[in-house]
Amino acid sequence: MTVPPPQMAMKGLAEELPGSLDTPPPRILVVENLRKRFVQTNGRRREDLVVLDGVNFSMAEGEFVTVVGPSGCGKTTLLNIIAGMEASDWGTVTLNGRRVSSPGTDAVMIFQEDALFPWLTVTENVSFGLRNREVGGAERERIASEYLEMVQLGRFANSYMHQLSGGMKQRVAIARALAISPRILLMDEPFGALDYRTREILQAQITSIHEKTRKTILFVTHDVREAVSLGDRVLLLSGRPSRIKREYIVDVPRPRSADDPQIQRVIGRIVEDLKEEVSFGSPGEVVASSED
Amino acid sequence: MGHLKGALDVVLGLVIFCIAWQLVFWAKVYPPYLLPSPAAVLDRLVAMAQSGQLGLGIEVTLGRLLAGFSISVLLGLGVGLAMVNFSRFGRVMNSFSLGLQSFPSIAWVPFAILLVGLNDLGIVFVMVVASVFSMMASTYAALRNIPPIYVKAARNMGTKGLALFTGVLLPASLPSLVTGLRQAWSFAWHALVGAEILMATVGLGALLEFGAEFVRMDQIIASMITIFAIGLVADRLVFSVVEERVRSSRGLTTQTR
Repeated sequence: MTVPPPQMAMKGLAEELPGSLDTPPPRILVVENLRKRFVQTNGRRREDLVVLDGVNFSMAEGEFVTVVGPSGCGKTTLLNIIAGMEASDWGTVTLNGRRVSSPGTDAVMIFQEDALFPWLTVTENVSFGLRNREVGGAERERIASEYLEMVQLGRFANSYMHQLSGGMKQRVAIARALAISPRILLMDEPFGALDYRTREILQAQITSIHEKTRKTILFVTHDVREAVSLGDRVLLLSGRPSRIKREYIVDVPRPRSADDPQIQRVIGRIVEDLKEEVSFGSPGEVVASSED
Repeated sequence: MGHLKGALDVVLGLVIFCIAWQLVFWAKVYPPYLLPSPAAVLDRLVAMAQSGQLGLGIEVTLGRLLAGFSISVLLGLGVGLAMVNFSRFGRVMNSFSLGLQSFPSIAWVPFAILLVGLNDLGIVFVMVVASVFSMMASTYAALRNIPPIYVKAARNMGTKGLALFTGVLLPASLPSLVTGLRQAWSFAWHALVGAEILMATVGLGALLEFGAEFVRMDQIIASMITIFAIGLVADRLVFSVVEERVRSSRGLTTQTR
Protein backbone atom coordinates (compact mmCIF):
# COMPACT_ATOMS: atom_id res chain seq x y z
CA MET A 1 0.00 0.00 0.00
CA THR A 2 1.34 3.40 -0.92
CA VAL A 3 1.47 6.39 1.32
CA PRO A 4 -0.73 9.18 0.01
CA PRO A 5 0.98 12.52 -0.54
CA PRO A 6 0.52 14.62 2.57
CA GLN A 7 -1.57 17.55 1.47
CA MET A 8 -1.13 19.69 4.50
CA ALA A 9 2.24 18.42 5.52
CA MET A 10 3.35 18.64 9.10
CA LYS A 11 0.26 20.48 10.14
CA GLY A 12 -0.60 17.85 12.72
CA LEU A 13 -4.01 18.60 14.02
CA ALA A 14 -5.65 21.86 13.21
CA GLU A 15 -8.71 22.69 15.16
CA GLU A 16 -11.67 24.95 14.78
CA LEU A 17 -11.30 25.83 11.17
CA PRO A 18 -14.58 27.69 10.89
CA GLY A 19 -16.24 26.93 7.58
CA SER A 20 -12.85 26.31 5.90
CA LEU A 21 -12.53 29.53 3.94
CA ASP A 22 -9.33 28.50 2.15
CA THR A 23 -11.45 26.06 0.20
CA PRO A 24 -9.59 23.78 -2.12
CA PRO A 25 -11.97 23.02 -5.01
CA PRO A 26 -14.03 21.13 -5.99
CA ARG A 27 -16.56 20.72 -3.20
CA ILE A 28 -18.70 17.69 -3.84
CA LEU A 29 -20.98 18.16 -0.83
CA VAL A 30 -21.99 21.43 0.75
CA VAL A 31 -24.25 21.44 3.82
CA GLU A 32 -25.47 24.87 4.78
CA ASN A 33 -27.28 25.95 7.89
CA LEU A 34 -29.24 22.74 8.26
CA ARG A 35 -32.01 22.76 10.83
CA LYS A 36 -34.43 20.02 11.70
CA ARG A 37 -36.94 19.61 14.45
CA PHE A 38 -39.38 16.91 15.29
CA VAL A 39 -42.69 17.25 17.02
CA GLN A 40 -42.83 14.76 19.81
CA THR A 41 -46.01 13.77 21.58
CA ASN A 42 -45.16 13.18 25.16
CA GLY A 43 -48.40 12.04 26.75
CA ARG A 44 -50.76 14.93 26.01
CA ARG A 45 -48.00 17.48 25.56
CA ARG A 46 -46.61 18.18 22.16
CA GLU A 47 -43.00 19.16 22.27
CA ASP A 48 -40.72 20.56 19.67
CA LEU A 49 -37.49 18.66 19.63
CA VAL A 50 -34.78 20.54 17.81
CA VAL A 51 -32.34 17.97 16.53
CA LEU A 52 -30.14 19.90 14.13
CA ASP A 53 -29.57 23.56 14.76
CA GLY A 54 -27.52 25.05 11.98
CA VAL A 55 -25.14 22.40 10.69
CA ASN A 56 -22.50 23.64 8.27
CA PHE A 57 -19.73 21.71 6.56
CA SER A 58 -18.49 20.71 3.18
CA MET A 59 -16.51 17.90 1.66
CA ALA A 60 -13.99 17.72 -1.13
CA GLU A 61 -14.14 15.04 -3.78
CA GLY A 62 -12.47 11.86 -2.55
CA GLU A 63 -12.39 12.93 1.06
CA PHE A 64 -13.10 10.54 3.94
CA VAL A 65 -14.87 12.45 6.71
CA THR A 66 -16.12 10.92 9.94
CA VAL A 67 -18.74 12.35 12.29
CA VAL A 68 -18.88 11.65 16.02
CA GLY A 69 -21.23 12.92 18.66
CA PRO A 70 -23.17 11.90 21.75
CA SER A 71 -25.98 9.43 21.13
CA GLY A 72 -29.27 10.93 20.09
CA CYS A 73 -27.57 13.99 18.64
CA GLY A 74 -29.10 13.57 15.21
CA LYS A 75 -26.32 11.88 13.28
CA THR A 76 -28.74 9.60 11.48
CA THR A 77 -31.08 12.49 10.75
CA LEU A 78 -28.18 14.37 9.19
CA LEU A 79 -27.42 11.46 6.87
CA ASN A 80 -31.09 11.01 6.02
CA ILE A 81 -31.32 14.63 4.96
CA ILE A 82 -28.17 14.41 2.85
CA ALA A 83 -29.57 11.27 1.18
CA GLY A 84 -32.83 13.08 0.46
CA MET A 85 -34.83 10.63 2.57
CA GLU A 86 -35.97 13.34 4.95
CA ALA A 87 -36.64 17.02 4.41
CA SER A 88 -34.91 19.68 6.47
CA ASP A 89 -36.83 22.58 7.98
CA TRP A 90 -34.21 25.08 7.00
CA GLY A 91 -30.95 25.12 5.10
CA THR A 92 -29.70 23.34 2.03
CA VAL A 93 -27.72 20.31 0.97
CA THR A 94 -25.91 20.65 -2.33
CA LEU A 95 -24.50 17.47 -3.77
CA ASN A 96 -22.45 17.57 -6.92
CA GLY A 97 -23.77 21.03 -7.71
CA ARG A 98 -27.43 20.12 -7.31
CA ARG A 99 -29.77 20.74 -4.41
CA VAL A 100 -30.91 17.54 -2.76
CA SER A 101 -34.67 17.28 -2.29
CA SER A 102 -35.49 13.63 -2.96
CA PRO A 103 -33.67 10.32 -2.77
CA GLY A 104 -31.28 9.74 -5.62
CA THR A 105 -28.43 7.46 -6.45
CA ASP A 106 -25.80 10.18 -6.05
CA ALA A 107 -25.77 9.51 -2.33
CA VAL A 108 -26.12 5.93 -1.16
CA MET A 109 -26.43 4.89 2.45
CA ILE A 110 -25.03 1.93 4.33
CA PHE A 111 -26.98 1.20 7.46
CA GLN A 112 -26.11 -0.29 10.80
CA GLU A 113 -29.04 -2.67 10.59
CA ASP A 114 -29.15 -5.46 8.12
CA ALA A 115 -30.73 -3.86 5.05
CA LEU A 116 -29.90 -6.60 2.56
CA PHE A 117 -32.73 -8.45 0.89
CA PRO A 118 -33.05 -12.00 2.24
CA TRP A 119 -34.92 -13.24 -0.84
CA LEU A 120 -31.98 -12.50 -3.14
CA THR A 121 -28.56 -14.06 -3.47
CA VAL A 122 -25.44 -12.07 -2.71
CA THR A 123 -24.91 -11.26 -6.40
CA GLU A 124 -28.54 -10.26 -6.89
CA ASN A 125 -28.33 -8.00 -3.87
CA VAL A 126 -25.22 -6.29 -5.14
CA SER A 127 -26.70 -5.73 -8.59
CA PHE A 128 -30.11 -4.64 -7.24
CA GLY A 129 -29.50 -0.92 -7.66
CA LEU A 130 -28.53 -1.45 -11.29
CA ARG A 131 -32.01 -2.75 -12.13
CA ASN A 132 -33.13 0.86 -12.41
CA ARG A 133 -30.49 1.61 -15.01
CA GLU A 134 -30.19 0.79 -18.65
CA VAL A 135 -27.75 -1.98 -17.88
CA GLY A 136 -28.03 -5.46 -19.38
CA GLY A 137 -28.11 -8.60 -17.26
CA ALA A 138 -24.62 -9.74 -18.17
CA GLU A 139 -23.17 -6.31 -17.50
CA ARG A 140 -24.98 -6.15 -14.17
CA GLU A 141 -23.46 -9.44 -13.15
CA ARG A 142 -20.00 -8.32 -14.23
CA ILE A 143 -20.23 -5.16 -12.12
CA ALA A 144 -21.59 -7.12 -9.16
CA SER A 145 -18.76 -9.63 -9.28
CA GLU A 146 -16.20 -6.85 -9.61
CA TYR A 147 -17.35 -5.27 -6.36
CA LEU A 148 -17.78 -8.61 -4.65
CA GLU A 149 -14.15 -9.31 -5.43
CA MET A 150 -13.28 -5.93 -3.97
CA VAL A 151 -14.82 -6.90 -0.63
CA GLN A 152 -13.38 -10.41 -1.01
CA LEU A 153 -16.69 -12.22 -1.12
CA GLY A 154 -16.44 -13.65 -4.62
CA ARG A 155 -16.83 -17.16 -3.24
CA PHE A 156 -20.21 -16.32 -1.74
CA ALA A 157 -21.81 -14.96 -4.91
CA ASN A 158 -24.68 -17.44 -4.80
CA SER A 159 -25.24 -17.57 -1.06
CA TYR A 160 -28.25 -16.16 0.71
CA MET A 161 -28.06 -13.62 3.51
CA HIS A 162 -28.79 -16.04 6.33
CA GLN A 163 -25.72 -18.00 5.34
CA LEU A 164 -23.43 -15.02 5.99
CA SER A 165 -22.00 -13.62 9.20
CA GLY A 166 -22.66 -10.07 10.34
CA GLY A 167 -19.35 -8.79 9.03
CA MET A 168 -19.85 -10.46 5.66
CA LYS A 169 -23.30 -8.89 5.37
CA GLN A 170 -21.86 -5.44 5.89
CA ARG A 171 -19.28 -6.15 3.19
CA VAL A 172 -22.09 -7.13 0.83
CA ALA A 173 -23.84 -3.89 1.75
CA ILE A 174 -20.69 -1.95 0.89
CA ALA A 175 -20.41 -3.75 -2.45
CA ARG A 176 -24.08 -3.07 -3.15
CA ALA A 177 -23.62 0.64 -2.51
CA LEU A 178 -20.43 0.87 -4.57
CA ALA A 179 -22.03 -0.95 -7.51
CA ILE A 180 -24.35 1.99 -8.06
CA SER A 181 -21.24 4.19 -8.27
CA PRO A 182 -22.64 7.01 -6.15
CA ARG A 183 -20.83 10.32 -5.81
CA ILE A 184 -20.79 9.90 -2.06
CA LEU A 185 -21.10 6.98 0.34
CA LEU A 186 -23.06 7.70 3.50
CA MET A 187 -22.26 5.24 6.26
CA ASP A 188 -24.46 5.24 9.34
CA GLU A 189 -22.57 3.41 12.10
CA PRO A 190 -22.07 0.54 9.70
CA PHE A 191 -19.85 -1.47 12.02
CA GLY A 192 -21.70 -0.61 15.22
CA ALA A 193 -23.30 -4.03 15.61
CA LEU A 194 -20.16 -6.05 14.95
CA ASP A 195 -17.74 -7.58 17.41
CA TYR A 196 -14.41 -5.93 18.03
CA ARG A 197 -12.29 -8.17 15.83
CA THR A 198 -14.67 -7.99 12.85
CA ARG A 199 -14.84 -4.24 13.22
CA GLU A 200 -11.09 -3.94 12.86
CA ILE A 201 -11.10 -6.07 9.74
CA LEU A 202 -13.86 -4.01 8.18
CA GLN A 203 -12.17 -0.77 9.12
CA ALA A 204 -9.06 -1.94 7.32
CA GLN A 205 -11.18 -2.97 4.37
CA ILE A 206 -13.05 0.32 4.03
CA THR A 207 -9.72 2.13 4.24
CA SER A 208 -8.29 0.11 1.40
CA ILE A 209 -11.48 0.52 -0.65
CA HIS A 210 -11.19 4.26 -0.15
CA GLU A 211 -7.57 4.15 -1.29
CA LYS A 212 -8.53 2.16 -4.35
CA THR A 213 -11.69 3.93 -5.45
CA ARG A 214 -11.11 7.43 -4.03
CA LYS A 215 -14.80 7.47 -3.22
CA THR A 216 -16.06 10.37 -1.12
CA ILE A 217 -17.17 8.89 2.21
CA LEU A 218 -19.13 10.43 5.05
CA PHE A 219 -18.98 8.04 7.98
CA VAL A 220 -21.01 8.43 11.15
CA THR A 221 -20.01 6.63 14.34
CA HIS A 222 -20.15 7.01 18.09
CA ASP A 223 -16.77 5.34 18.44
CA VAL A 224 -14.09 8.02 18.66
CA ARG A 225 -11.25 5.59 17.96
CA GLU A 226 -12.97 4.44 14.82
CA ALA A 227 -13.63 8.01 13.70
CA VAL A 228 -10.01 9.04 14.13
CA SER A 229 -8.44 5.96 12.64
CA LEU A 230 -10.61 6.20 9.50
CA GLY A 231 -11.14 9.85 8.65
CA ASP A 232 -9.11 12.52 6.93
CA ARG A 233 -11.17 14.82 9.08
CA VAL A 234 -13.37 14.24 12.10
CA LEU A 235 -16.41 16.42 12.76
CA LEU A 236 -17.67 16.57 16.32
CA LEU A 237 -21.40 17.16 16.64
CA SER A 238 -22.58 18.75 19.85
CA GLY A 239 -25.43 17.28 21.88
CA ARG A 240 -28.96 18.19 20.89
CA PRO A 241 -29.72 20.71 19.45
CA SER A 242 -26.70 19.77 17.37
CA ARG A 243 -24.27 21.74 15.34
CA ILE A 244 -20.69 21.04 14.32
CA LYS A 245 -18.79 21.86 17.42
CA ARG A 246 -15.30 21.26 16.24
CA GLU A 247 -13.29 19.83 13.42
CA TYR A 248 -10.09 17.80 13.69
CA ILE A 249 -7.76 17.11 10.83
CA VAL A 250 -6.07 13.74 11.07
CA ASP A 251 -3.02 14.07 8.92
CA VAL A 252 -1.61 10.61 9.43
CA PRO A 253 -0.72 8.40 6.49
CA ARG A 254 -2.54 5.12 6.00
CA PRO A 255 -2.45 2.34 6.94
CA ARG A 256 -2.73 3.74 10.40
CA SER A 257 -2.04 2.12 13.69
CA ALA A 258 -4.24 2.87 16.66
CA ASP A 259 -1.04 3.16 18.74
CA ASP A 260 0.28 6.01 16.63
CA PRO A 261 0.96 8.86 19.10
CA GLN A 262 -0.66 11.43 16.86
CA ILE A 263 -3.82 9.34 16.52
CA GLN A 264 -3.81 8.89 20.28
CA ARG A 265 -3.52 12.63 20.76
CA VAL A 266 -6.52 13.39 18.55
CA ILE A 267 -8.55 10.70 20.28
CA GLY A 268 -7.64 12.26 23.62
CA ARG A 269 -8.78 15.71 22.54
CA ILE A 270 -12.07 14.49 21.13
CA VAL A 271 -12.82 12.45 24.23
CA GLU A 272 -12.14 15.56 26.36
CA ASP A 273 -14.40 17.73 24.20
CA LEU A 274 -17.07 15.09 24.16
CA LYS A 275 -17.04 14.83 27.95
CA GLU A 276 -17.55 18.54 28.26
CA GLU A 277 -20.36 18.28 25.76
CA VAL A 278 -22.20 15.65 27.73
CA SER A 279 -21.77 17.25 31.15
CA PHE A 280 -22.66 20.73 29.99
CA GLY A 281 -26.40 20.43 30.46
CA SER A 282 -26.81 18.97 27.04
CA PRO A 283 -29.85 16.72 27.00
CA GLY A 284 -28.01 14.38 24.66
CA GLU A 285 -27.35 11.45 26.94
CA VAL A 286 -30.39 11.90 29.10
CA VAL A 287 -33.10 11.95 26.46
CA ALA A 288 -31.14 9.70 24.21
CA SER A 289 -33.10 6.59 25.07
CA SER A 290 -36.39 7.98 23.75
CA GLU A 291 -35.20 8.65 20.26
CA ASP A 292 -32.08 8.15 18.27
CA MET B 1 -36.61 -38.03 4.23
CA GLY B 2 -38.87 -35.92 6.43
CA HIS B 3 -41.67 -36.05 3.89
CA LEU B 4 -41.44 -39.83 3.64
CA LYS B 5 -41.70 -40.19 7.38
CA GLY B 6 -44.67 -37.82 7.45
CA ALA B 7 -46.42 -39.83 4.73
CA LEU B 8 -45.78 -43.02 6.67
CA ASP B 9 -47.41 -41.51 9.75
CA VAL B 10 -50.48 -40.54 7.71
CA VAL B 11 -50.78 -44.10 6.36
CA LEU B 12 -50.41 -45.53 9.84
CA GLY B 13 -53.13 -43.22 11.12
CA LEU B 14 -55.46 -44.28 8.30
CA VAL B 15 -54.85 -47.97 8.96
CA ILE B 16 -55.70 -47.57 12.66
CA PHE B 17 -58.81 -45.59 11.73
CA CYS B 18 -59.98 -48.27 9.28
CA ILE B 19 -59.43 -51.04 11.81
CA ALA B 20 -61.52 -49.16 14.37
CA TRP B 21 -64.21 -48.57 11.74
CA GLN B 22 -64.24 -52.27 10.81
CA LEU B 23 -64.56 -53.22 14.50
CA VAL B 24 -67.54 -50.90 14.96
CA PHE B 25 -69.06 -52.39 11.79
CA TRP B 26 -68.61 -55.95 13.13
CA ALA B 27 -70.09 -54.96 16.48
CA LYS B 28 -73.30 -54.14 14.56
CA VAL B 29 -73.88 -50.92 16.49
CA TYR B 30 -75.62 -49.50 13.42
CA PRO B 31 -77.39 -51.32 10.56
CA PRO B 32 -75.10 -51.82 7.51
CA TYR B 33 -77.05 -49.36 5.33
CA LEU B 34 -76.29 -46.59 7.84
CA LEU B 35 -72.72 -47.62 8.52
CA PRO B 36 -71.25 -49.66 5.65
CA SER B 37 -67.93 -51.47 6.00
CA PRO B 38 -64.70 -49.90 4.72
CA ALA B 39 -64.68 -52.48 1.92
CA ALA B 40 -68.21 -51.52 0.82
CA VAL B 41 -67.26 -47.83 0.71
CA LEU B 42 -64.15 -48.65 -1.29
CA ASP B 43 -66.31 -50.64 -3.74
CA ARG B 44 -68.65 -47.69 -4.10
CA LEU B 45 -65.71 -45.33 -4.60
CA VAL B 46 -64.37 -47.50 -7.40
CA ALA B 47 -67.83 -47.79 -8.96
CA MET B 48 -68.31 -44.01 -8.84
CA ALA B 49 -64.92 -43.54 -10.42
CA GLN B 50 -65.69 -46.05 -13.18
CA SER B 51 -69.05 -44.51 -13.98
CA GLY B 52 -67.37 -41.13 -14.41
CA GLN B 53 -69.59 -39.64 -11.71
CA LEU B 54 -66.64 -39.01 -9.40
CA GLY B 55 -64.37 -37.61 -12.10
CA LEU B 56 -67.04 -35.16 -13.20
CA GLY B 57 -67.67 -34.14 -9.60
CA ILE B 58 -63.99 -33.50 -8.95
CA GLU B 59 -63.59 -31.62 -12.20
CA VAL B 60 -66.53 -29.29 -11.60
CA THR B 61 -65.61 -28.71 -7.98
CA LEU B 62 -61.98 -27.95 -8.74
CA GLY B 63 -63.04 -25.62 -11.56
CA ARG B 64 -65.21 -23.61 -9.17
CA LEU B 65 -62.45 -23.68 -6.59
CA LEU B 66 -59.91 -22.32 -9.01
CA ALA B 67 -62.26 -19.57 -10.21
CA GLY B 68 -63.34 -18.47 -6.76
CA PHE B 69 -59.90 -18.69 -5.21
CA SER B 70 -58.23 -16.73 -8.02
CA ILE B 71 -60.82 -13.96 -7.80
CA SER B 72 -60.32 -13.82 -4.03
CA VAL B 73 -56.56 -13.67 -4.30
CA LEU B 74 -56.47 -10.95 -6.96
CA LEU B 75 -59.16 -8.89 -5.27
CA GLY B 76 -57.62 -9.39 -1.83
CA LEU B 77 -54.14 -8.41 -3.02
CA GLY B 78 -55.45 -5.33 -4.83
CA VAL B 79 -57.61 -4.09 -1.97
CA GLY B 80 -54.89 -4.97 0.55
CA LEU B 81 -52.41 -2.86 -1.36
CA ALA B 82 -54.87 0.03 -1.52
CA MET B 83 -55.39 -0.34 2.23
CA VAL B 84 -51.67 0.16 2.81
CA ASN B 85 -51.52 3.16 0.51
CA PHE B 86 -54.56 4.93 1.92
CA SER B 87 -54.17 4.62 5.64
CA ARG B 88 -57.68 5.68 6.65
CA PHE B 89 -59.28 3.32 4.15
CA GLY B 90 -56.90 0.69 5.46
CA ARG B 91 -57.93 1.10 9.06
CA VAL B 92 -61.64 1.01 8.24
CA MET B 93 -61.34 -1.97 5.90
CA ASN B 94 -59.13 -3.83 8.31
CA SER B 95 -61.61 -3.90 11.17
CA PHE B 96 -64.36 -4.62 8.64
CA SER B 97 -62.38 -7.52 7.16
CA LEU B 98 -61.46 -8.99 10.50
CA GLY B 99 -65.12 -8.95 11.48
CA LEU B 100 -66.34 -10.52 8.25
CA GLN B 101 -63.59 -13.11 8.35
CA SER B 102 -65.31 -14.88 11.21
CA PHE B 103 -68.76 -14.59 9.63
CA PRO B 104 -69.98 -18.15 8.82
CA SER B 105 -69.68 -18.57 5.07
CA ILE B 106 -72.82 -20.71 4.85
CA ALA B 107 -74.83 -17.74 6.08
CA TRP B 108 -74.10 -16.03 2.77
CA VAL B 109 -75.98 -18.74 0.83
CA PRO B 110 -79.55 -17.31 1.02
CA PHE B 111 -78.20 -13.89 0.12
CA ALA B 112 -76.31 -15.35 -2.86
CA ILE B 113 -79.29 -17.40 -4.08
CA LEU B 114 -81.55 -14.37 -4.26
CA LEU B 115 -79.05 -11.78 -5.45
CA VAL B 116 -76.77 -13.77 -7.74
CA GLY B 117 -78.78 -16.88 -8.51
CA LEU B 118 -78.91 -20.58 -7.82
CA ASN B 119 -76.01 -21.36 -10.17
CA ASP B 120 -72.24 -21.57 -10.46
CA LEU B 121 -71.91 -17.83 -10.18
CA GLY B 122 -73.79 -17.90 -6.88
CA ILE B 123 -71.48 -20.63 -5.57
CA VAL B 124 -68.38 -18.70 -6.64
CA PHE B 125 -69.83 -15.62 -4.98
CA VAL B 126 -70.16 -17.45 -1.67
CA MET B 127 -66.57 -18.66 -1.93
CA VAL B 128 -65.24 -15.22 -2.71
CA VAL B 129 -66.99 -13.48 0.15
CA ALA B 130 -65.90 -16.29 2.43
CA SER B 131 -62.21 -15.91 1.62
CA VAL B 132 -61.57 -12.44 0.23
CA PHE B 133 -61.68 -10.68 3.58
CA SER B 134 -59.10 -12.98 5.04
CA MET B 135 -56.94 -12.37 1.98
CA MET B 136 -57.33 -8.59 2.37
CA ALA B 137 -56.49 -8.65 6.06
CA SER B 138 -53.45 -10.86 5.59
CA THR B 139 -52.16 -8.86 2.62
CA TYR B 140 -52.56 -5.71 4.66
CA ALA B 141 -50.73 -7.21 7.62
CA ALA B 142 -48.02 -8.74 5.44
CA LEU B 143 -47.26 -5.46 3.68
CA ARG B 144 -47.32 -3.44 6.87
CA ASN B 145 -44.94 -5.79 8.59
CA ILE B 146 -42.18 -5.36 6.02
CA PRO B 147 -39.11 -4.02 7.82
CA PRO B 148 -39.03 -0.31 6.86
CA ILE B 149 -35.29 -0.59 6.31
CA TYR B 150 -35.87 -2.61 3.12
CA VAL B 151 -38.03 0.10 1.63
CA LYS B 152 -35.61 2.77 2.76
CA ALA B 153 -32.65 0.95 1.21
CA ALA B 154 -34.52 0.35 -2.05
CA ARG B 155 -35.64 3.97 -2.36
CA ASN B 156 -32.10 5.04 -1.63
CA MET B 157 -30.98 2.97 -4.61
CA GLY B 158 -33.49 4.74 -6.83
CA THR B 159 -36.26 2.10 -6.78
CA LYS B 160 -39.82 3.40 -6.87
CA GLY B 161 -43.31 2.80 -8.19
CA LEU B 162 -44.07 -0.58 -9.70
CA ALA B 163 -40.45 -1.71 -9.39
CA LEU B 164 -40.63 -1.07 -5.66
CA PHE B 165 -43.78 -3.18 -5.45
CA THR B 166 -42.61 -6.14 -7.52
CA GLY B 167 -38.96 -5.94 -6.51
CA VAL B 168 -39.25 -5.31 -2.78
CA LEU B 169 -42.73 -5.16 -1.26
CA LEU B 170 -43.98 -8.39 -2.82
CA PRO B 171 -40.91 -10.56 -2.16
CA ALA B 172 -40.39 -9.07 1.30
CA SER B 173 -43.93 -9.96 2.33
CA LEU B 174 -43.98 -13.33 0.56
CA PRO B 175 -43.55 -15.56 3.64
CA SER B 176 -46.59 -14.03 5.35
CA LEU B 177 -48.47 -13.77 2.06
CA VAL B 178 -48.11 -17.51 1.52
CA THR B 179 -49.51 -18.14 4.98
CA GLY B 180 -52.37 -15.78 4.09
CA LEU B 181 -52.98 -17.64 0.83
CA ARG B 182 -53.15 -20.91 2.66
CA GLN B 183 -55.71 -19.55 5.06
CA ALA B 184 -57.78 -17.98 2.30
CA TRP B 185 -57.67 -21.27 0.42
CA SER B 186 -58.97 -23.08 3.46
CA PHE B 187 -61.85 -20.60 3.84
CA ALA B 188 -62.70 -20.89 0.15
CA TRP B 189 -62.64 -24.68 0.24
CA HIS B 190 -64.92 -24.87 3.29
CA ALA B 191 -67.35 -22.41 1.72
CA LEU B 192 -67.34 -24.25 -1.60
CA VAL B 193 -68.39 -27.62 -0.21
CA GLY B 194 -71.07 -26.00 1.92
CA ALA B 195 -72.41 -23.99 -0.99
CA GLU B 196 -72.38 -27.04 -3.27
CA ILE B 197 -74.49 -29.03 -0.83
CA LEU B 198 -77.11 -26.31 -0.86
CA MET B 199 -76.82 -24.87 -4.35
CA ALA B 200 -75.37 -27.38 -6.83
CA THR B 201 -76.51 -30.32 -8.91
CA VAL B 202 -73.00 -31.43 -9.89
CA GLY B 203 -69.81 -31.44 -7.86
CA LEU B 204 -68.60 -33.19 -4.75
CA GLY B 205 -70.96 -31.31 -2.47
CA ALA B 206 -73.87 -32.33 -4.70
CA LEU B 207 -72.74 -35.98 -4.49
CA LEU B 208 -72.94 -35.70 -0.70
CA GLU B 209 -76.38 -34.18 -0.89
CA PHE B 210 -77.68 -36.88 -3.26
CA GLY B 211 -76.22 -39.53 -0.98
CA ALA B 212 -78.32 -38.15 1.86
CA GLU B 213 -81.37 -37.83 -0.42
CA PHE B 214 -81.20 -41.51 -1.45
CA VAL B 215 -79.85 -42.82 1.87
CA ARG B 216 -76.61 -44.00 0.25
CA MET B 217 -74.20 -43.83 3.14
CA ASP B 218 -71.49 -45.56 1.04
CA GLN B 219 -71.71 -42.70 -1.48
CA ILE B 220 -71.63 -40.09 1.29
CA ILE B 221 -68.52 -41.56 2.87
CA ALA B 222 -66.85 -42.11 -0.50
CA SER B 223 -67.44 -38.43 -1.36
CA MET B 224 -66.19 -37.36 2.05
CA ILE B 225 -63.01 -39.34 1.49
CA THR B 226 -62.52 -37.61 -1.85
CA ILE B 227 -63.03 -34.19 -0.28
CA PHE B 228 -60.62 -35.09 2.50
CA ALA B 229 -58.02 -36.24 -0.02
CA ILE B 230 -58.25 -33.05 -2.08
CA GLY B 231 -57.84 -30.94 1.03
CA LEU B 232 -54.90 -33.01 2.19
CA VAL B 233 -53.15 -32.90 -1.18
CA ALA B 234 -53.59 -29.14 -1.54
CA ASP B 235 -52.46 -28.38 1.97
CA ARG B 236 -49.63 -30.89 2.35
CA LEU B 237 -48.31 -31.10 -1.17
CA VAL B 238 -48.92 -27.58 -2.44
CA PHE B 239 -49.13 -24.99 0.30
CA SER B 240 -46.83 -26.44 2.91
CA VAL B 241 -44.19 -27.23 0.29
CA VAL B 242 -44.32 -23.69 -1.12
CA GLU B 243 -44.30 -22.23 2.37
CA GLU B 244 -41.37 -24.36 3.43
CA ARG B 245 -39.39 -23.48 0.33
CA VAL B 246 -39.98 -19.74 0.75
CA ARG B 247 -39.08 -19.85 4.40
CA SER B 248 -36.00 -22.04 4.12
CA SER B 249 -34.47 -19.95 1.32
CA ARG B 250 -34.49 -17.05 3.77
CA GLY B 251 -33.23 -19.00 6.74
CA LEU B 252 -36.60 -18.73 8.48
CA THR B 253 -37.01 -22.45 8.90
CA THR B 254 -36.93 -23.99 12.34
CA GLN B 255 -36.50 -27.50 11.00
CA THR B 256 -33.09 -29.08 11.40
CA ARG B 257 -31.73 -30.27 8.10
